[in-house]
Amino acid sequence: MNELAAMPELVRVEAVTRQFPMDHNFVRALDDVSLRVTAGEFLAISGPSGSGKSTLLNLIGCIDKPTSGRILIDGVDTSKLNPTRMTALRLEKIGFVFQTFNLIPVFTAAENVEFPLLVQGVSASERRQRVAAALESVGLSARANHRPDLLSGGERQRVAVARAIVHRPALVLADEPTANLDTHNATQLIDLMHDLNRRLGLTFIFSTHDARLLEHTDRIVRLCDGQIQSDTLTSDTPVAKTTREGASHEQVFAARL
Amino acid sequence: MSKFLLLAFRNVFRNRRRTIMTLVMVGGGVTGLLLVGGFFAYMYNGIREGAINNGLGHLQIFNAEHFTRDEVRVLDTGIDNWRQVAASVKTGAHVRGIAPRIEFYGMISNGVKTSVYMGSAVDPDAEKSLGFSTHITAGNNLDTKSGGDVEALIGAGLAKSMNVRVGDGLTVLAMTSDGALNGIDVQIVGIVNSGIKEYDDRYLRITLPSAQRLLQSDRITNLVVGLDATKNTDSVYDELAPSLQGQTQKLVLKKWIDLATSYKQIRSLFNTIYIFIGIIVFFMVLLSSVNTLLMTMFERTREIGTMLAMGTPRMWIIALFMVEALVLGVLGAIAGLAAGNLLASLIDYAGVRLPPPPGSTDPMKFYVLHVPILMAGSSLLVIVSLALASILPAIRASRLQIAEALAHV
Repeated sequence: MNELAAMPELVRVEAVTRQFPMDHNFVRALDDVSLRVTAGEFLAISGPSGSGKSTLLNLIGCIDKPTSGRILIDGVDTSKLNPTRMTALRLEKIGFVFQTFNLIPVFTAAENVEFPLLVQGVSASERRQRVAAALESVGLSARANHRPDLLSGGERQRVAVARAIVHRPALVLADEPTANLDTHNATQLIDLMHDLNRRLGLTFIFSTHDARLLEHTDRIVRLCDGQIQSDTLTSDTPVAKTTREGASHEQVFAARL
Repeated sequence: MSKFLLLAFRNVFRNRRRTIMTLVMVGGGVTGLLLVGGFFAYMYNGIREGAINNGLGHLQIFNAEHFTRDEVRVLDTGIDNWRQVAASVKTGAHVRGIAPRIEFYGMISNGVKTSVYMGSAVDPDAEKSLGFSTHITAGNNLDTKSGGDVEALIGAGLAKSMNVRVGDGLTVLAMTSDGALNGIDVQIVGIVNSGIKEYDDRYLRITLPSAQRLLQSDRITNLVVGLDATKNTDSVYDELAPSLQGQTQKLVLKKWIDLATSYKQIRSLFNTIYIFIGIIVFFMVLLSSVNTLLMTMFERTREIGTMLAMGTPRMWIIALFMVEALVLGVLGAIAGLAAGNLLASLIDYAGVRLPPPPGSTDPMKFYVLHVPILMAGSSLLVIVSLALASILPAIRASRLQIAEALAHV
């Protein structure tokens, strides 16, 4: 815990509550949740269905707003951002991996990975270079020109991971990334994400109740009924030494990808 | 940008059946507009050339006063030195010939019955050289070579009313240009049936020398100028109009369109019908496309949520939907143009005939012209319609709540 405290803080969730209207009442999906995540962590949010895992990820990912409390991403108070700046923050700092892969079906693997760079306005030559590197890092260089319907579930999820990291985000959020994968593909994906976490110093936060994935995580935050039940450090956090030595996240990422 | 267009283009073909249905609808609209518009254009051409060749000519020269005041006496506002004017005009480029005319009125009598007529005096040779036709149902046309100065054509209604037939004689009475009553005897050489009852009930045509003798004047009402092609009307007008300014008498030049009142009325009526059809096609494409594009948006809710989550600006989503609609519109227009032109060619080749129009005994040819302006207009219409249809789905897509969109099944 002391090591974590010494590292740069990437996400801070402060007394966040999220209510949803249902019939004539409100359902409290998250209830006064506070959490701090430092750069380079490999963190799992675990809990039964309806415990608030996806809601917490949505809030950290700036695609939903808390009813009360606030969330800081890399020191930026997201509650003070207008929609345009919120969009820009997501584009710059966050990568998403979804349970159902959510690839654009009419794009090839390479084009899917390229999409965030297109939105960022990166030049064509740099896009080509970074897409090739991202696909290589997930072991899919040979499948670059295949459309999602010609890829296996595991390959699709790896494309989704490449898409999530290609624009060098500070944080990758993965919502149940292994839920639609068989054991073999799930294990491969876990190894891949862990490798990216260690090699690139990328911060991963994912929701899961997949025991296979939990075994590989450094820290597990257990949610139940919208509240944090436990926050356990399962191993010595393998945050990249370079990060600890003062290099910025982007410098580490750029150097290694 | 190219990738963005690529995405829009590929999305269009994502659901092929639906895309084909939309293309059929959009293309069908364009095809319909081309066929109807092409037929109307053919009809306009027929009416225009019919009017010109039935005696209207391409240009007519009048005394300027003809349009500023009513005649107190016959030929009061006629042209004096018309032979000189005709000679100078005849040498112009594209001029095929010139026909002098006198319009007059008076009484006609067979000795028993007297009736009112509206008379027209012509130079039969000049009329013939310009190819001006007259619908003669009995007898022959006027002919100067066979003593034309006593020949007359009369309308079928007038002939019936006067109980005369070809070969019978009539006395034509009129006020001379000096205000005196004068009369000449003529022999009926032909009966005219123009198809317009009011016209045929009063129609009388005699030769120019007969009329000048009757009216005691060397003046004429107007000079009709025939050109080698209707398309040259404007250029000849531009050339002739200034040259007429040098005449001692103030003359004006009129184009056929200025004098073809019924042509303009018919054209205006059918243009209104065409615009109405265009509006129907516009709304048909608009409403069905809105439905199709909303379905597309609904099916792609999660994908749109993903794009928004990744930081895609909402304006991009609007642009994406609008570009997709434009791609559909352009493809539909291309399909419609291809089908419309092909069908038009087939119809033209088949030589389809329609029942005779009112006042005519000849079947009407169903011919469809290939009109570039119609092709451009109908294509633009469906493209604009689709662009408008995409606004609602595009805005709805851009306003999706990301978290809800991602949870969409």
